[in-house]
Amino acid sequence: MAVLLIQMKLAVLRHSMTGRRAAQMVTGALTGLALAGGLIVLAARDYPLASLPFDLVGVGFALWTAGWLLGPALFGGGDETLRPEHFSLLSFTPRRLAAGLAGAAFVGVAPLVTLVAFCALVVLAAKAGLGAAATAVGVAAVVLQLVVCVLASRLVTAVLGQVMRSKAGAALAALVSAAILAGLHSSWVLSPLVQAALRTGFPDPFSAWVVALPSGWGLVAVRAAGQGQWPTVAAALAGLAALGVVCWYGWAALLKRRLTTRRASGRPVRVAAGGWAKGPMTAVAARELRTWSRDLLRFHYLVFALCYALAFCLLPLAIDAPIFLPWTGVVFALWVAAISANLYGEDGTELWGKMMVPGAARHDVRGRQLAWLLVAAPPTLVLTVAMVVFAGESGLWPWLAALVPALLGGGAGVTVLVSVLRPVPMTDPHRRGGNLLENGTDFAQVLLVLILTAATAAPAYFAVRLGPVWAGPVMGLVGGAAMAWLLGRLAATRLESSAPELLLHLRTGVSPNRRRPAPALAAPALDRGRPHLPRPDLGLDELGLDLAPTGRRAYVIASLTLCWVPLVAQGIVPALMLTTGQVTRSWFLALHLPQHLRWPTIIAMIALGLVLLTTGLGAGLYYLAKSRRDSIEPDGGP
Amino acid sequence: MGPSSTDTALRLTALTKTFGRKLVVDHIDLEVPRGSFFGLVGPNGAGKTTSLSMAVGLLRPDGGRAEIFGLDVWADPARAKKLIGVLPDGLSMPERLTGRELLRFTGLLRGMDLEEVERRAGELLEVLELDRAERTLVMEYSTGMRKKIGLATALLHAPRLLVLDEPLEAVDPVSAATIKLILQRFVHGGGSVVFSSHVMAVVEQVCDHVAVIASGRVVASGPLGSVRAGRSLEERFVSLVGGQIPEVGELVWLSS
Repeated sequence: MAVLLIQMKLAVLRHSMTGRRAAQMVTGALTGLALAGGLIVLAARDYPLASLPFDLVGVGFALWTAGWLLGPALFGGGDETLRPEHFSLLSFTPRRLAAGLAGAAFVGVAPLVTLVAFCALVVLAAKAGLGAAATAVGVAAVVLQLVVCVLASRLVTAVLGQVMRSKAGAALAALVSAAILAGLHSSWVLSPLVQAALRTGFPDPFSAWVVALPSGWGLVAVRAAGQGQWPTVAAALAGLAALGVVCWYGWAALLKRRLTTRRASGRPVRVAAGGWAKGPMTAVAARELRTWSRDLLRFHYLVFALCYALAFCLLPLAIDAPIFLPWTGVVFALWVAAISANLYGEDGTELWGKMMVPGAARHDVRGRQLAWLLVAAPPTLVLTVAMVVFAGESGLWPWLAALVPALLGGGAGVTVLVSVLRPVPMTDPHRRGGNLLENGTDFAQVLLVLILTAATAAPAYFAVRLGPVWAGPVMGLVGGAAMAWLLGRLAATRLESSAPELLLHLRTGVSPNRRRPAPALAAPALDRGRPHLPRPDLGLDELGLDLAPTGRRAYVIASLTLCWVPLVAQGIVPALMLTTGQVTRSWFLALHLPQHLRWPTIIAMIALGLVLLTTGLGAGLYYLAKSRRDSIEPDGGP
Repeated sequence: MGPSSTDTALRLTALTKTFGRKLVVDHIDLEVPRGSFFGLVGPNGAGKTTSLSMAVGLLRPDGGRAEIFGLDVWADPARAKKLIGVLPDGLSMPERLTGRELLRFTGLLRGMDLEEVERRAGELLEVLELDRAERTLVMEYSTGMRKKIGLATALLHAPRLLVLDEPLEAVDPVSAATIKLILQRFVHGGGSVVFSSHVMAVVEQVCDHVAVIASGRVVASGPLGSVRAGRSLEERFVSLVGGQIPEVGELVWLSS
């Protein structure tokens, strides 16, 4: 049966290898292979201490396994190419089905890359000169570690999928993922410790922990084989095998649960009076507040933002560094913005209802802004005030009084604008399963909103930096209000003009920007009866980029956006500094390098910038000319 | 042109839509007389939903016009949309609201007075027998309840034309009877209804006008009697869309 399921999975993968998916898969595979290569290099290098490579590879294995366990929870879904539900009516026992699906789970890019990465263990055994037997044990351990990784990942994802069906579970999952992300982002705290360890070796308790985790059992077996302690080898390998079997059993049990129980139907909701909603805009805001409290996904996101802000700002206290404490509120505001920029995507095709109400676009956007502020502002203010008092950093108040209103206003603007301009289509709410993991987070969107929202606070930042003491808070308030008003207005205008395209995008999942022009054969006939319909303003159309293939379009946009970094920021500016002698190192790479490397680096940066600029511009202009040409030809599409 | 100066509730002229390379709606012309109960029938994938979406302003046509009481839906959407109530098929609603909240917020968004909204919402919920599910979210509603709350939303602002896509699809007989009764009352009160379905019996039972759509074109349209031409609607429909009952093989292995 496993063979049949593997064939099915390969068939599905083959059919879904369209341009974008294929690009994602190749990018993922290349990134994974680069990381795997890094792990192997780590195992093959020379170290001052014999124990160091073992500890480093152990840490590498632990992180890699953690990625397998938590990746699906953080990035959504996990591998659902073959869904167990498809087979629920066939006469398999859950365990047999789990066995078949487990077989299919080993087919794919991720297991393959992991296999390559885990070969570091074999490399380590050979490099340390532990003998042929230890290398052979290493090969067996690599296979077992891979099995444990894949099966444990399935088990953990299934457990989380079950847990996240309730509000408490959603909050718990948010807490865990926020703690992990914040921990990773705070890992700089550890860098002095790591540097010390690379010279003098890791402390013993640390080494003990690394091999005590199942991710280190392969390492234990290899080391023991090198020393001829065969009972330990057998115990470690048997432990891995047993763990694999336990994961498989657990997963089978959860599969049975998943296939035989239905999502509990909703409990009766508390109906709030909502007496303050008396007009169109307040009605939208009241409705939106109900979504924040009743939608598990939004609730999960909100708890995540809060936990992330707390964890990120409190963690450095571990090394007595309270520097982030006063900024907890600011971090929270940024994350709430980042997680609420898919308002229309989350609501799904519900948009039709607003399209049928004349003039609803403006009320809808403004109402959502109001609701966002009502959700984001109170915790931001409380966190800021409380942490400033707690840290005793009252000297920071001009900064906070400027940045907090600027970010709240900016967030209220950016979230609605990105929601309209870059929606990520999701399954309609009433068709979603209870499992939050099915709706992966779009990290590109999160990053985009984080950057844009932070950018809206730039005027307030410079006002504090350069102006008199009152300028910052005033600029923060005025700038925040202006951003909320202006970006909201842009969003409303865009929503009004292109709601049908947005609805089609949400319904089909295909962006109207990417639709190819209609075939020429229909065009002449259409032209005669065609009225002058108001066309929405699609930026890509004007640039001619709607005709470019996805990869080419992404390259043009990316190269034209990014070329300025090497060209100006890392090239021309440090060059000017070197020639004038006024050197401020800051983030200029060349200025951190030894004397003789500075000018070559600057020249390379400028060259890179120029290459990006010219190729991006060249490709962009080509498609612009092409689109102009096509629109002049009588049969050239709509 | 005001709503009173035309006898046509809905007029589609050469309406066209292409998805990719597929011509889904091919120059459809349709006229729905004021005060009629108009049935739109056609096989699956004939272009009914696409045509209705373009007619009410939810999907931008590639060509052609859609007018509601003489007002161009795409050139003057604000005035045209005031006159219509729409119930699409398979689209989402504000799912995390109760029925009453949904009606209240929709009414307020339309700029209606809160008291008036509450009064109408109460009546609609009572007539549609949704007042027993006051604390249930729309996302927990059954199919029949979803159609009923959708109809209530479409009726809330007292439109002159109702455009309903498959309003009785997968609805239980009791709810279906309620919906049909309300629609018939609406027509008696001077309203017009356009109603798509692929169940001939229902169309024959409630509609006075009918149009048959196949492969994105209107193949017959007019008063029910003239379209039927003395036969049952189903027979006429099969002959119009060129279908025939396929030869079914033996499937010998099915008999035991």
